Amino acid sequence: MSEEIAFLDACETAARIKARDVSALEVAETAIRRAERLQPTLNAFISLEAEAALDAARDVDARLGRGEEIGALGGVPLAHKDMYYREGRVTTCGSKIRAGFVADRTSTALVRLAAAGALHLGGLNMSEFAVGPIGNNVHYGDCRNPWNPAHAPGGSSSGSGATVAARIVHGAMGSDTGGSIRIPSGMSGVVGFKPTQNRVSRYGLMPLSFSFDCGGPLTRTVRDAARIMDAVAGHDPKDPTSSRHPVDAYEAACDVPVKGLRIGIPSTYYYDDLDPDVAAAVAAAQQVLADAGAEMIEADVPDHEEMNLIWAAALAAEAATIHRKWLIERPQDYGDMVRRRIEFGLYQPATRYLEALSMRDTFLRDYCATAFRDCDVLLTPTLPIPAPRLADVDVGGSEDMPAVVLRISKNTRPISYLGLPALSVPCGFTGGGLPVALQLVGRPFDEATLCTVGHTYQQATDWHTRVPEIAA
Amino acid sequence: MSGLSGEFVARLAAVWHRFTVPEADRETLAEMLAPMDAAGESVAAHLAFDMEPSDFDTALADLAPQRPGT
Repeated sequence: MSEEIAFLDACETAARIKARDVSALEVAETAIRRAERLQPTLNAFISLEAEAALDAARDVDARLGRGEEIGALGGVPLAHKDMYYREGRVTTCGSKIRAGFVADRTSTALVRLAAAGALHLGGLNMSEFAVGPIGNNVHYGDCRNPWNPAHAPGGSSSGSGATVAARIVHGAMGSDTGGSIRIPSGMSGVVGFKPTQNRVSRYGLMPLSFSFDCGGPLTRTVRDAARIMDAVAGHDPKDPTSSRHPVDAYEAACDVPVKGLRIGIPSTYYYDDLDPDVAAAVAAAQQVLADAGAEMIEADVPDHEEMNLIWAAALAAEAATIHRKWLIERPQDYGDMVRRRIEFGLYQPATRYLEALSMRDTFLRDYCATAFRDCDVLLTPTLPIPAPRLADVDVGGSEDMPAVVLRISKNTRPISYLGLPALSVPCGFTGGGLPVALQLVGRPFDEATLCTVGHTYQQATDWHTRVPEIAA
Repeated sequence: MSGLSGEFVARLAAVWHRFTVPEADRETLAEMLAPMDAAGESVAAHLAFDMEPSDFDTALADLAPQRPGT
């Protein structure tokens, strides 16, 4: 059977199913076949739930047959980072400690995606407990980058990026605490959308940091991401921290002209010390948007040094609070790097932690007054470097491993502390064939403008249509 | 000079958390903590009496673009 359907984006797939050009069952069977075939190479799934997905697909087809509405994502195969709970199902969180954890609730994001008709194919590989930007995992094996399996897929939502890039599923939910959606999307050549803090409910999402965790989609196109965001965004009574701020129509925002929008290019920090291929690709992307009618201007940004450090302190304090019991009773059940990264939160004074959170408002107001003074959106590279080789960034890898790991998240960390929305969009390839991505950063709750700019860019370029050789 | 040493970290762990930090991790942890401590100390100087973490939620709403009807 042809696998042509696997290469269509989520919106086009939904349209074909709705028009009955293809059945939801055929789409699901194709996705499952590809998942099984590519698993030995990519190790992107922790659990594949083929039968349940096929049953759900048959149900979509039956509803279509009865003339019923099937939803904006009706019959579209998705899979999610294995930290989105589903009642009665094991959710490993990429860990040995939760290898047998059966969730007592279903995450609101997954409930909303199911209501939009999406299929659920299984739980995706991830960094243990969502800690780490590489995407490696000592318990379930490393997920691999579809563009070159010797390279890191990016983490912590490693399987989300890899399965979307490899045209297995048409979209996946990830989570982002310091870059964990944007980094794997950047390294794997797909779109990644980190919404404003508290825009998407965290109910039923494994916590790493109460203050910085955000759920969001990884997809092939900005329009796909917007459609998923239309489904999942908005207040949730089950998550009292979720925002009541009005939700814009994100997919509709994709069709708004970019002309007249002002795009700021930060004059410091984000463009420092770039890999030459990254610098060239991002510069070319700026020109594409200028040609489309956006006004490109230089933007000042405040100093990030202290902000990054207090973000790390606050995140670690929250993670250590969650993990303290296991750190004491089961330290041997963590990967070494993950345990150390969580453990140092045990030594943060409570006053220091609360200072970091109390100052967040001041840093945000200062950042917006400076960086967004004359522009609507900032444009930066998502990553200063392309995906490193897995062997170089694993325990016992090269001597500069800690520095490389820090550098990977350099441009994503500050945005997480500030709670701003950010969209990572593929914008080229290195000479070695690895993806390069740009990051669009917006004002609070201005995801819609990011959709406008990101979609405009994708309409003018074809990077998002490129397929890794192993997935062709 | 932050005074953060591997020995200090091990003592904190033992007293606060009833937890023994492996010998090999103590200095690494202290080195990781030192710059955070310095940044925290610097930032704390700007903290005003009536600031609190929930101010951040207000700031997000205040700084969002105003749309018709919001």
